Amino acid sequence: MTVPDVAEVRPAGRWSLAWRVLATLVLVVLLFNGSLRLEDKAWPFGPMSQYAFSPPADDTIAITRVYALLADGQRVEVPLRVETAGISRAEIEARIPSIERDPSLLRTVSDGWTARNPTGPRLTELFLVADRTHLLRGQVRSKDLVTLAEWRVTP
Amino acid sequence: MSWFAPVRPEARIAVLRSVLYVFVLLDMHVIVRDPIPLSHHTELYRPLDLAVLLHLPPPSLPLTWTLYAVLVVGCLVAAAGRAPRLAGWVVAAAFTWWVAIGFSYGKVDHDHLALVVALWLLPTVGAVPGGWSATRSSAQAGWVLKCVQIAVVATYFLSAVAKIRSGHWTLTSWPESYILMWAIVRRPHGLGQLLVPHPGVLHVMQWGSILAELSSVAVLWLRGRALLAAALFWMGFHVFTVALLYIHFAPTVVCWLAFAPLERLRPWWRARHPPLEPPVPVPPRPGSALVSR
Repeated sequence: MTVPDVAEVRPAGRWSLAWRVLATLVLVVLLFNGSLRLEDKAWPFGPMSQYAFSPPADDTIAITRVYALLADGQRVEVPLRVETAGISRAEIEARIPSIERDPSLLRTVSDGWTARNPTGPRLTELFLVADRTHLLRGQVRSKDLVTLAEWRVTP
Repeated sequence: MSWFAPVRPEARIAVLRSVLYVFVLLDMHVIVRDPIPLSHHTELYRPLDLAVLLHLPPPSLPLTWTLYAVLVVGCLVAAAGRAPRLAGWVVAAAFTWWVAIGFSYGKVDHDHLALVVALWLLPTVGAVPGGWSATRSSAQAGWVLKCVQIAVVATYFLSAVAKIRSGHWTLTSWPESYILMWAIVRRPHGLGQLLVPHPGVLHVMQWGSILAELSSVAVLWLRGRALLAAALFWMGFHVFTVALLYIHFAPTVVCWLAFAPLERLRPWWRARHPPLEPPVPVPPRPGSALVSR
């Protein structure tokens, strides 16, 4: 017959437990407060807001793209990813109004692209484009492209 | 009191630390991997409240590279179980700052909540003598695990709250909306493409999602097989969202380990890989002799 191990338990004082319970309650209150009242910039105590909105059945869904005119005359899409443009689509989308006011902010994309493609053809012009899908009663009805801003690349 | 800080094996903390500090290394290279390139673009930086409150300087290349180096060294030290408080809090602060920079250019994800909570609280347990093989239990360990569990569940439950809030506090507006259609059109990579012609199926999935999120709080009171079933359900949920939209929530998924009996890992491994016993010398029998050829 084996003698069962007597589990060793580390002592925890009353104060030690009390502050932990209090800290848990503060954490829960902060998290609820964020989701009930605050906005994203309150992270990590902001709302869990990803996909927390309700597009209607006749919505227009926009994907933001950047197209570029190259020095050799080609028109190409610059994929908005960190690996290709140094910045991702979400960051550009979040700044669309600023870019529309000041298209030179597209320099972010041209600098990122050029740094990653130093030997490729030079970008001469950039276009910020909304690739739109129109829904009608919840079904895809049509698509179009709308140019939101354009900027001639300056050194 | 004991619900908030149940006595739990400290070996579970030791394993969770190793996994999460290694995960942070993975995260900063695969998930929140853009603070260094983003720090080129000060014109697009909009600080979070946290950065304003703490007067954090705007990101720059020296700052983000320093954070990167601190995180790599800190994670390696902490994952090895060395200086658990110092290394743990250095990693917690540096990673919170790192992620905050990544979220300061317009897009804030909510998949990092449980991981950030875990990183700040794991150091409070201090040293765990014996590491993965520790036999000691404590309320200190149980409290950390409980808080990480609460943060995991809050990620789901509060996302349902945010959805209900966005629909002017009605339960039906989000699940009856065209949000999954919107998401699939914008992320046309996965299986979601097949569902675009079937908005009714998408609505059923939205209802399932919000009801699961609202009922996720019950996970905090489940035990044994019921807890295992709930964990498998949520793992399945995340696999499904990956297949549908390429959205993974890996930082939340890894924190589900706070529910798992990780302290059984080392004994389980030992039982399958017993240490080699040293050879025992056999005394020579009288009258016999070993003959070498």
